Amino acid sequence: MIGDDQERFEDYLELERYIEELQAGRVAHPPSDLTPGQAKIYRMAALFRSASAESAEPRPEFVEQLKARLLALDEVGQEQEEPTQELPGLGKPVEPEQIPATKEQQVPQIPQPLPQKKGMPQRARFVSRRSLLSGGAVAAASLLAGAAVGAAADQLAHHSSPPGPNGSSTLYNPTPLVPSDISTIWLPVATLAELGDDAKRFVSDIVIGYVIRNDGDDKEEGNPAKEPVIAFSAACTHMGCIVQWNNGDRQFHCPCHNGRFTEYGKPDNSPGGRLYLTALPRLNVKVDSDGKVYVQVPKKTS
Amino acid sequence: MSTPRGTQGQPHLASIEEQRALSTGTRGAAGGNKRQWSQDVQEEFQTFYQENLGLIYRYIYSKVGNREEAEDLTSQIFLKAVRGLDAERSPQSMQKWLFQVARTTIADHWRMYYRASVSSLEELLDAGWEGPIEEESVPMSTTPSERVQRILRALPEHYREVLTCRFLYNLSIKDTALRMGLTEANVKVLQFRALKRAADLDPIVTEVM
Repeated sequence: MIGDDQERFEDYLELERYIEELQAGRVAHPPSDLTPGQAKIYRMAALFRSASAESAEPRPEFVEQLKARLLALDEVGQEQEEPTQELPGLGKPVEPEQIPATKEQQVPQIPQPLPQKKGMPQRARFVSRRSLLSGGAVAAASLLAGAAVGAAADQLAHHSSPPGPNGSSTLYNPTPLVPSDISTIWLPVATLAELGDDAKRFVSDIVIGYVIRNDGDDKEEGNPAKEPVIAFSAACTHMGCIVQWNNGDRQFHCPCHNGRFTEYGKPDNSPGGRLYLTALPRLNVKVDSDGKVYVQVPKKTS
Repeated sequence: MSTPRGTQGQPHLASIEEQRALSTGTRGAAGGNKRQWSQDVQEEFQTFYQENLGLIYRYIYSKVGNREEAEDLTSQIFLKAVRGLDAERSPQSMQKWLFQVARTTIADHWRMYYRASVSSLEELLDAGWEGPIEEESVPMSTTPSERVQRILRALPEHYREVLTCRFLYNLSIKDTALRMGLTEANVKVLQFRALKRAADLDPIVTEVM
């Protein structure tokens, strides 16, 4: 409000001193005994100074130096971490109860080998968005599916790229959604007779998925899928939304971000090329002599 | 039916030894493996950095008015923010977090230069800290130069002129006085009052937008 502060001659001089210091490119601070109203004036001076100062734009050298510093920090951060003897999600047996239910714990398993939480505060990590997305998918799928470990490993495997000892391609999941050491049941989901050409969705306590006839054109390596039926999780590997079978183009569509998968759950990264999806994780299938189709899913241990 | 795959001891990924090598880092030149390993991460960070470094720096500069402190505070902010980045955030929310860190950093910085008695939030607010809520939209939607333009447009002519001379053209007191047909003393008074009026107008013109 005008008239709040009596203007004194010193005020003008002090302000001018401040402005001149800034204009000379030096560090300057307002006098420390300012009233709030006076302080605002100095703030305005700094703001107006930034309007035309060359130094209001960051120096390229500064930009590079800070960047290098931050990157070094990240690496150092990594290095300081204990190497994990057992990387979670890489086939280490995990009891279902131990499966972390929170996203925070899921994500860092990908691709950076952060130590498993042992009650240690999580060191925040700047993780790639791709891995974030997969991590999100894993987390979501795991919230949905509970079989976190296998799925996490899938994503981990994909992003870390080298094909595993099984020689399987990176698009497919060398580690099953359902680890071999958790309790499972064979869930009857359909009969061969009723399975036409379309995918059929099934819902269990832990996993939601699809089964579809295998026409023999499944090009997966490493898993010859000799069964006449293929099963996989319905959780989109992007963020975990349940993909929807579209009979028109015979693909699975994800309603959330337009992810697409082929009839066998292979990622179709063509739409816009925006998403880098991994395949929908496979589930074990068997067909008995009566043509009943079973999918191996985790058993709810309550 | 596919055989249940690897469990313990059979990571299909790099072996444990390889993992450790990757994580503990073959540093420097031999870090071939490691560089490749963190390529994704580095790329994401680069994007985030490129998009936000300028914004933060300019914002901070508009508060401190000089390069040295702008660089120093910007560094502090990024160092703090990077540590606190939660891996699952979207770029927008990370940016928001970054600006929050920026605001508190500036507030801490200012606290040092105002009277020790400035402790209450209200005083801090008056002393120039925009506060946790009010500032929220401003740095992100209004650049410092936009603020300046709006204020200038709203100022009475003689205030606008003196600030234009002193800050946009960077004329000295002497040259400003010449240009405006005033004494140097006049100019000092005028710039004082112009900045004062600018401070009053600032919240108004920013709101209107």
